[in-house]
Order: sequence, then C-alpha cells, then structure tokens
Amino acid sequence: MAKKVKLSKEAFEKAEEIITHYGYSSLEEMVENLIDKEYTRIKSGDDENAEEQAEKLSGLGYIS
Amino acid sequence: MKRRDFLKNTGLLMAASPLMNFGKNKPLTKKMIVLGFDGMDPQRVMNLIQKGELPNLRKLAQMGTFTMMRSTIPPQSPVAWGSFITGSDPGTYGIYDFVHRNPKNYMPIFSQSETLAPEWVVSIGKYNIPLKPGKVILKREGKAFWDYLEERGIEATIFKVPNNYPPSKSNQRTISGMGTPDITGGYGMYTLYTTDEDEYQKDITPNRVYYAYIDDDNVLEGEIEGPRNDLVKDGETVKVPFKAYVDFRHKTMRIDVQGKKIVLREKQYSDWVEIDFPLIDGISSITGMVKFFALNVRKNKFRLYISPIHISPLHPALPISTPDSYSKELAEKNGLFHTISLPADTKALSQLTFGVEDFITQSMSVYDESSKIFDYEFQRFLDGKQDFLFFYFSALDQGQHMFWALNDKTHPYYHEKEGKEFGYITDELYRKHDEVLGRVLKKIPKDIPIVVISDHGFGPFKRKVNLNKFLYDEGYLKLSTNDISEEVSILEYADWGNTKAYAVGLNGLYLNMKGREGDGIVTQSERRKILENIKAKLEALRDPDTGEVVVTNAYISEDNFSKDYIGRAPDIIVGYKRGFRTGDSSAIGSLAKTVVRDNMNWWSGDHCIDPLQVPASFLSNFKINKKVPNMMDIAPTILKFFGINNPSTMKGKSLV
Repeated sequence: MAKKVKLSKEAFEKAEEIITHYGYSSLEEMVENLIDKEYTRIKSGDDENAEEQAEKLSGLGYIS
Repeated sequence: MKRRDFLKNTGLLMAASPLMNFGKNKPLTKKMIVLGFDGMDPQRVMNLIQKGELPNLRKLAQMGTFTMMRSTIPPQSPVAWGSFITGSDPGTYGIYDFVHRNPKNYMPIFSQSETLAPEWVVSIGKYNIPLKPGKVILKREGKAFWDYLEERGIEATIFKVPNNYPPSKSNQRTISGMGTPDITGGYGMYTLYTTDEDEYQKDITPNRVYYAYIDDDNVLEGEIEGPRNDLVKDGETVKVPFKAYVDFRHKTMRIDVQGKKIVLREKQYSDWVEIDFPLIDGISSITGMVKFFALNVRKNKFRLYISPIHISPLHPALPISTPDSYSKELAEKNGLFHTISLPADTKALSQLTFGVEDFITQSMSVYDESSKIFDYEFQRFLDGKQDFLFFYFSALDQGQHMFWALNDKTHPYYHEKEGKEFGYITDELYRKHDEVLGRVLKKIPKDIPIVVISDHGFGPFKRKVNLNKFLYDEGYLKLSTNDISEEVSILEYADWGNTKAYAVGLNGLYLNMKGREGDGIVTQSERRKILENIKAKLEALRDPDTGEVVVTNAYISEDNFSKDYIGRAPDIIVGYKRGFRTGDSSAIGSLAKTVVRDNMNWWSGDHCIDPLQVPASFLSNFKINKKVPNMMDIAPTILKFFGINNPSTMKGKSLV
C-alpha cells in the first residue's frame, strides 16, 4: 500500500537538486532507491560488526 | 646494560667526531637522507658492534652520533611514525594505538584509516551501481614535514612511512606502507590448500583453509577468493579458479591461473601474479596480486599457501601513492612488490601454517624487494632527481616479533631445536640492514646529512595481560553474566550501566564516560579520582605467579598529550614492564579467566609496553645538541637542515 510522506520545504528543495543531479525520473524513484540502498547496506552487514572488525584487525599480527 | 653504560660506550665510539658547522636560518644542506629501520633496538646494535659486527652502523656512529631515542607513549609503530611525520606528540595527530574504539558502541576499530561506503547507489537489475564511489580516509591528522619541504620547492621521496594510508594529499613522491589493506579490506588473509585432515579441520580464522582434492591425474582445482562484489545485490566474494598440475615425483607443480603459468618446486615462493577479479563481466574488475608458496609437494603431504591479495602497485585498486603514477613507476622499474600493511605473514607462522624456515623465506623476499627499490631510489637521489629521501624497512620489526623465542631460553615458547637451527636469523637481519647503510656510506658525498632511526626497540613478550579481567577483579567492569569460565566479549556481556572502565587496544584503557560513551556513567566530577585510582592499582599489579611488577607506568593521557585530538585518546595508556603485554583478546574487548598468563606463540617479542623500556635508536653522521633525542625532534631537524624554522605545528626541537 502506498503511503504519503511529508517533507519540509528545505528537504524537498534538496531532493529536487538530487533528482536533477542524478537524473531520477521522480521523487518516488529517488526515495525508493535510497531506501533500497540503506536496506541492502544493513542486510549485507556493512554496519559495524564486532566479528568482522576482529578478523580485519587480526591480520595485523598483534592480535591472534 | 644500563642506559648510563650505553651512553658511556657510545661516547667512546664518537669521541673523535667533529661538530658540523651550522649557520642560522640558512639551508645547511641541499640534500639529506633518512633511513627508517622499524624496531632496530639500540642495545642490540651496541652488542653487535662490540662483537665487531655492523661495521657501517659503527662507522656512522663514529662520524657523529649513536644514542637511544625516546619513543612515543605508547611505542607502537603507527604512533611513533606519526610523531616522526608531524614532529609532534599523538595529541596533535590523533593516533594512539593500532586499535581505537567507537565510543558509541564500544566496538574496536582500526585507528589509521576509515573506509566509507559509496554515497549514492542505483539499482539496475541485479547490480548496485555506485554514482559516487566510496572512499578511504586517512585518520592521521596534522601537517607532514614533507609538506613544508614542498612549500620550499624541496623535492622529497617518502617510501612507506607507516601511518600514511591513504597517502595524504601531496605533490611529493610518497607511497603508503603500514596501514595499507589487502584488496578485501583486511590486513592480510591467506589461503591454504592442504591434504592434512587435522590441519583442514583447524580454525585459522580469518584465513581460509581448503582440503586439497588432487584427482587421479594429479590435478588440484582451486579458487582464489577475492573481495566482496558490492556491485551485485547480496554481493558474494569474487572467486577466480586455478588449476595446479602436481608432479609428485619431482616435487614440483604448475599452477595455471587466468592464462598465466607458474612453475614451483617444493619450498619455492613464487613471483607476484596479478589476478583480475571480475565484478561485472567484461565491464568492471579489480586487480590484485598474490604469491604462491609450495610448502609440501609429496604424495602423503601436499600443502599450497596463497598469500593475502595485495593491491597491485601497477594497477592499484585503491590509492597507495602520490602521484598515482609513482607506484606504477616503481613497479615498472623494479617489478611488482608487496604493498600490504605488514608484509611478512606473521599469522601464517603463528598458526603453524608456516614453519620457521618458510617464514624466513618470505621475510627475506620482503627485505629483498625493499632493498632493490632502495637501490633504485638511492640512485635517483644521487643523480640529483631528489633532494630528500626517506626509506623504510619493516623486516627487523616483524622478524623480532616472530624470532624472539628462538634465542630466549627463559621464554615460555622457547624451542630448543628451532633455536639451534635458526637462532642466527635476527642478527642476520641486523647485518642485512647494516649492508643497506654500507651502500649509502660508500657512494654518498661526505657533506650530506645521513640519519638512521628506528621507532622503538624490542623486548620479550612472555606474559599476556588481560586488562578487562583486571578491571573486572577491581570492580570497574561489570558483566551481565557470572560465567567467565570461557573468554567473554565485553561487547556482548558488559553491564554498561554499572561499568566505569574497560579496555580496548594494545595499550588503551577507557573510562565509560557519560555523554561520550554510548551508555556512559562516569561523570566529569568523578573522572580524575577514578583515573588516579586505576593508575595506582595498575602500577601495584604483580604477576600472581612470579611476584614481578607488571606495569611500570600507567600514563594518564590528559597529562601527557597536546589537546587537539585528545578526544580520541584512551584515558590511560598502560606502560608494561619488559616481558608483559596486553593479550590479544583483551585488545579487542574480551575478558579472560586470568589476568596474566603465558604467551605460547611464535609472536614472542614485542614493544607495545612502557616506552622507557624499549627506547628507539638514533644514528647520524653529525653531532646533535641533546643526549637523548625524541622521535618528534626528527622532523624539525630535517626542516632545519633545509633552512626552515620550527613550524608552530611541531612540538619537537631541531637537534642541530
């Protein structure tokens, strides 16, 4: 189900700039792309993960 | 030998050397060379000189100066070389440890750089196309001394100084060293193919082990696992297949990968092989490079090591030099060379994938590559193409970390057999570095200043200290579990609402400050008292098994550093006595069953202790105006030679 979102004037103006800059066809397309990007980032574990960090740091040798 | 005796001995060496005649505020030279030998211990140098070895270091000392030099608090390489770069203390450039932490979630993080994801990604079919690429940020702040040289039109080459990845913006020739990742974003993940069932079952995380299925035609089919493909949704790692044709009779193999053929005999370490990891077929790929090591080529034992995937200097996937063309120039003139942070694979020896001999083979190849590039750069310097040359060697540091237990019968990991066979290697590494200096002394005009420095000395690492267990025993760290029979991560089990202090990093200890940490509780008004109490308790800590002092100095950061980036500093930096060091699990926020335990690992020497226990080395062909110089005095000294007064950004003072 589609939902309406209210944007402040400043946010809308910035959104319009982004749409023009990157050639999005609409505000909806831009928002959906950004949401998709964030969702992918979270799901792919780009957020800091203790195990990943420890693995990376262990390559230094100081941490076995 | 005590410091007083050391100074007496070096005084005898230098008795005949004259003072150079220096003018005021005028350039004192048109050219200068500084060699950085990471981890060169002044006491060991002195001992070897007294045995009649290291003729070139001896000669340099006789020409001018040989003394101990004060390293940074703590004496870790990125911290100490940061002081060399900026001529100041860690408070000015904001690097205090290999490992910092994110105060919001307490997570350990790599201190020297940060990788940012692409900001704008468009999804087309199965691909995520970044419109604005991600980038890597150098976390070391402050102005580098070579920027001041550049402002005066003095051309400099800076080869692999640690704590300069990605290289700071510059028109000078610089290439990054310690801090440079592999192309997966880690700091060195190797791969092992083995027919040894036990080894195959062993956890060597984060490195990879695969069973080596060799078919009836004696062919092994394997894969080189590269970076994660961020261009594909739910991106997996990119894998490149290879085939190894094994000839057991002659103990050789031929590896075919992407049209290249590499022939290896048993115990041979290959040249670099560039590998293209395709991201979008035919459109986008990342180039890395690996070396293959035929560890065992026998019917009953086959083991093939594949090195971490280094960034290729010829086709760098990430920025490693200024200008971009510099790394390519070096590769074109000298062949491909290692680019990763710490190039000798210490993990492979720690995890017993390598034997000592294998590690020596690899270490020497690292040294030989550096030595070859040094000769190229030194010739350019002599030919008048550069005014200033800094050249860094890592092999002494990594060697002493791994070889200490070969010669130290009191070390819990002492191995008599390997000691007899390979105990010569550390002194041999010192001799190799002495030879580099010999090539300089032979060719360089006498009026050109020469400096040889290290960033710290070295000592044994016999006992591991778990700072989080210490804080737990003292009531500063609370857990949400009572079960500490196994190691527990404070990230998972700390009761932050009742925790006043925690430890992350190789020397760092933090208060759980209200308003700074995610769930901080310590207020500003109680801060100082808690710091002083912890300091006193650390300095009173004794090894429960031997009664030995564990910590010689606990440094309260706000009393020791400039204030520019003090906000990143641990609140206390723990200065251990020789023999002790923070245990590896404590460094990434774990709590062990005991505060102190034996270190049973080939990583048996270390320097992440009290800087007063592991002074650095300083040698030059000129006299200096201080008995004990400081690491932060080197940059002002270089500038003074080129007629540049001490900039306000530098706290160090010129030694001439």
